[in-house]
Amino acid sequence: MSAHVDFGRRALVLRRGRIAVRLPFRPLVVCAVLAVAIAGMAVLALMTGSYQLTPGQVLSALTGRETGIVHDVVVDWRLPRVAAALVFGAALGVSGAIFQSLLRNPLAEPGVIGFSQGSYTGALIVILLVDGTYTQLVGGALLGGMATAVAVYVLAHRRGVQGFRLIVVGIGVSAMLESLNTWLIIKADLDEAMSAAAWGAGSLNGVSWDRVVIGGACIAVLLLLAGVANRPMRQMELGDDAAASHGIRVAPVRLGLILVGVALTATVTAASGPIAFISLVAPQIARRLARTAGITLAPAALVGALLCLASDHLAQHVAPTPLPVGVITVVLGGGYLAYLLFTEVRRRP
Amino acid sequence: MNNTPVMRRGAALAAALMSASLVLTACGGDGDGTGVQAAETRSAEPAGTRSVKAENGTIEVPADPQRIVTIGNTNLPFIDLGGKPVGVTEVSDSDLAALPQDQKAVYEAAEVVGSNGGEVDLEKLAALKPDLILVQFHSSDWDKVGERLEAIAPTVLWGLDTEWKAFADAIAEAGDVADALSRQKAEFTEKVAKIQSTYGKVIGGTSFVDVSRGDWNDPGTFYIADIGCSEIARDDIGLDLPEAAEGKDPLAYESLPFEQIGELSTYDVITYPVDAEGKPTASFVPVTETNTWKALPAVTSGRALGLFCPGNNSYGPVIRYLDSLDSALATLPAAK
Amino acid sequence: MTTLTLRRDGPGAKTAPGPRRRLLGLVVALAALAALLVLSVMIGSTSIAPSAVWDALVRSSDGIDQFAVRDFRLPRTIVGLVVGVALGLSGALIQALTRNPLADPGVLGVHAGASFAVTVAVGLLGVREAQGYMWFAFAGALVVTLLVLALGSTRRGSSPVVMVLAGVCVGAVLGGAREALQLTDPDAFDMMRYWNAGSIVGRPLEVLWPILPFFAVAVILAFVVSGPLNALALGDEVAAAQGVGLARTRVLAVIALTLLAGGATAIAGPIAFVGLMVPHVARWIVGPDQRWIFAYSILLAPSLLLVSDILGRVVMRPSEIPVGVVTAFVGAPVLVALVRRRKASGL
Repeated sequence: MSAHVDFGRRALVLRRGRIAVRLPFRPLVVCAVLAVAIAGMAVLALMTGSYQLTPGQVLSALTGRETGIVHDVVVDWRLPRVAAALVFGAALGVSGAIFQSLLRNPLAEPGVIGFSQGSYTGALIVILLVDGTYTQLVGGALLGGMATAVAVYVLAHRRGVQGFRLIVVGIGVSAMLESLNTWLIIKADLDEAMSAAAWGAGSLNGVSWDRVVIGGACIAVLLLLAGVANRPMRQMELGDDAAASHGIRVAPVRLGLILVGVALTATVTAASGPIAFISLVAPQIARRLARTAGITLAPAALVGALLCLASDHLAQHVAPTPLPVGVITVVLGGGYLAYLLFTEVRRRP
Repeated sequence: MNNTPVMRRGAALAAALMSASLVLTACGGDGDGTGVQAAETRSAEPAGTRSVKAENGTIEVPADPQRIVTIGNTNLPFIDLGGKPVGVTEVSDSDLAALPQDQKAVYEAAEVVGSNGGEVDLEKLAALKPDLILVQFHSSDWDKVGERLEAIAPTVLWGLDTEWKAFADAIAEAGDVADALSRQKAEFTEKVAKIQSTYGKVIGGTSFVDVSRGDWNDPGTFYIADIGCSEIARDDIGLDLPEAAEGKDPLAYESLPFEQIGELSTYDVITYPVDAEGKPTASFVPVTETNTWKALPAVTSGRALGLFCPGNNSYGPVIRYLDSLDSALATLPAAK
Repeated sequence: MTTLTLRRDGPGAKTAPGPRRRLLGLVVALAALAALLVLSVMIGSTSIAPSAVWDALVRSSDGIDQFAVRDFRLPRTIVGLVVGVALGLSGALIQALTRNPLADPGVLGVHAGASFAVTVAVGLLGVREAQGYMWFAFAGALVVTLLVLALGSTRRGSSPVVMVLAGVCVGAVLGGAREALQLTDPDAFDMMRYWNAGSIVGRPLEVLWPILPFFAVAVILAFVVSGPLNALALGDEVAAAQGVGLARTRVLAVIALTLLAGGATAIAGPIAFVGLMVPHVARWIVGPDQRWIFAYSILLAPSLLLVSDILGRVVMRPSEIPVGVVTAFVGAPVLVALVRRRKASGL
């Protein structure tokens, strides 16, 4: 396999025998830079914490030469947390990219079809009315989210699902659930309401290896499916008719992609609560960094991972007491996207 | 422990900065960790343990715990019993403002390790090297961080629905502050008996209602307080106060619009919240300013009583509430 | 990037009803609103006999029932009317301005700004009085909307997509900061969970008076720009060719909608969905002419608000459900039914 950089066309051409893959140059560089930034951020996250450890201690803990609390802090607390931020962030980035591409709308994310509000309703009911355990909470959230997504899809279905109708129905159903959530929060005891709100903000505190491993396995399968569907998805961005003329069966592909996108978000929600905004801004930031015309999955995944990791680091250290990561993803992601918009708008004549 | 809070915090920081071997001896085995805590004047006696029954099972706690961290609603009740936690979680400004000065100082001397719910900085907590952790929060938060708390130190959990007297008993037992508890309990029993014997007749045939309004309430709404202090007036003293039907949410969760103030005219005596000086609390003033309130029979006949309720989750504030109830009942005009 | 949020109402996509039918519809809407105003004074979470209500309104007789009507129900009804008008008109303005039938004042960060400012006032500055934090809400809404407009504007004008994205970003940043404050301050959390619901209960008329002049200016501005906004709907180039001052129209429309939405939020808290749904439905009834959409929105929005508020008073007696919780439950099924019935191309 040989690779050479063709600066003239700003594309990287990979050749293997007679098969050649042309990759645009800038996105590749962006991906590489993102990967390096992620690695650096991960090392920083492993090294820092309120429990002061030297780099040497962290290293020896990682190589299994520590026991007791040092081992616990590094291997059982910090490491799964970093892994979770990476995997879940990437999943959210891809999930948002799928929805934005599918609905050709820069504001689309699984929340559009009511998943976020529905899962919060499910969780609120478990926390406030049933007083359930964490497992029940996860079950309630998934059930609520999925039921809402299905309800929106069915309500929007009338001789096929059309993007605009899906969005309007999603807005209506989400608004109703949001009202219900507000009502549940008002009617609850303050302690329970705050506990529910902290879950609703999305937190990686206390994330354990088994949650990372199970969630990661699900996400890996889903990302594989998303990768397979990448090509038809890109063609559908050009319009249903154009895609159909390339021999793509639009309806099943669209349903399949919606399922993958919702399932990615659902997995993250189950493991850590609904971490807000990554699925909305990661694809947008990725598109602007890579300067691609459409939505691309790999940069979106990397931006999502970096955003989640950096946010979680800040969430633990920026305030006197730790905050849920979702509170920071919103600030960081929203702020950065606003900055990108601002410079983009200034550049225009 | 007689060193100042600043020194203790410094000690904790120093401990955290110590090298791996020292940390290991401190937390890995059953050692007492004196090597790290140079500033501590902790006795080196071999620590015995006791078993305490709690929501998370039967827990072996140190017989004489020295470094206690309280999380969630255990903060203030433990301090009320004379406990001096090394780590606490945040409490609301209003709760803090209602504390006696000495208790406030104790709270502020402790390290804050988290906001509420499961958002606890576990590493900071571990760096404090507690020998006992007392927790009261939601079970879903426990599922989130419980296992890790137990990895740091023996941890005793109570659910949010624990009744306050049982809670005080349990905290006193786990936190080894039973002496203070028995003093407070004796005082409480005596106060209850005194109020019952003095005002027995008045209490007998009279219907009471406790109304309140919080800062959080929408403007123009109030609520009928059936939890908190008035629960004590109803269940311990025996005042005839309204109560939510079995299995229903407390009445206090329902915000009532001001137009329903008129319906309070069916009660003989109305009680409302006042501050330590006896003036209506700032959040309740809007109710007293309405024409409807001023026209209520209880208000016009001097049967609206202000009560001071500094807290209802431990004996200290409850005793202060009973004092206020005692002097308020004394002002009631003779029965109709 | 083609975006669905940008799909505009092509004039003539659907034949608009004639002026007579539109006028008739307006009269019907006005009658419905009048009936609801009466009902809102008659019905409450306490039962007061109609004769006592009548008594309270026409005679100055005193009594607990009369006080209840005069001091609480009447002001509440007036506040509902004014807030409803402001919400409906601001929604119609933003949808015309961004040419986006799914925009509501919330996209420009009005609620986020107000809510953040109130949280700061309550959590950090210790403000506890409604009359105090109301001004924070108003100022927060104005400042944030201006910020969003600044972010979303190019030197040549503003692009609706960028403006909406900017609104979402600024809203998110403020929302996150607000949540961080709330989660570390139980007092602020407790207060904000009620404020966030949006309610018109217990606002004395003294709260309304200082905001009314702003509303009056805004309503006049709205009708001044309604004609130019019609031209704008055909595209910037067409509008410019017709001699419409693009920048001036946009600036005036933005001032009007910010005052309306900011004022309504200051009084009642964030009541979502009314500003989104009512102009949307008005457009379905009367077609693309902004003047008619504005007129209908002014009548339909307070009706939706009052119906919701009356329902909120009676369904869970003796307690009430805040109107902001009810509006979506009343409005959303209507919206879903309409979007299913209409052919999407007719939007």
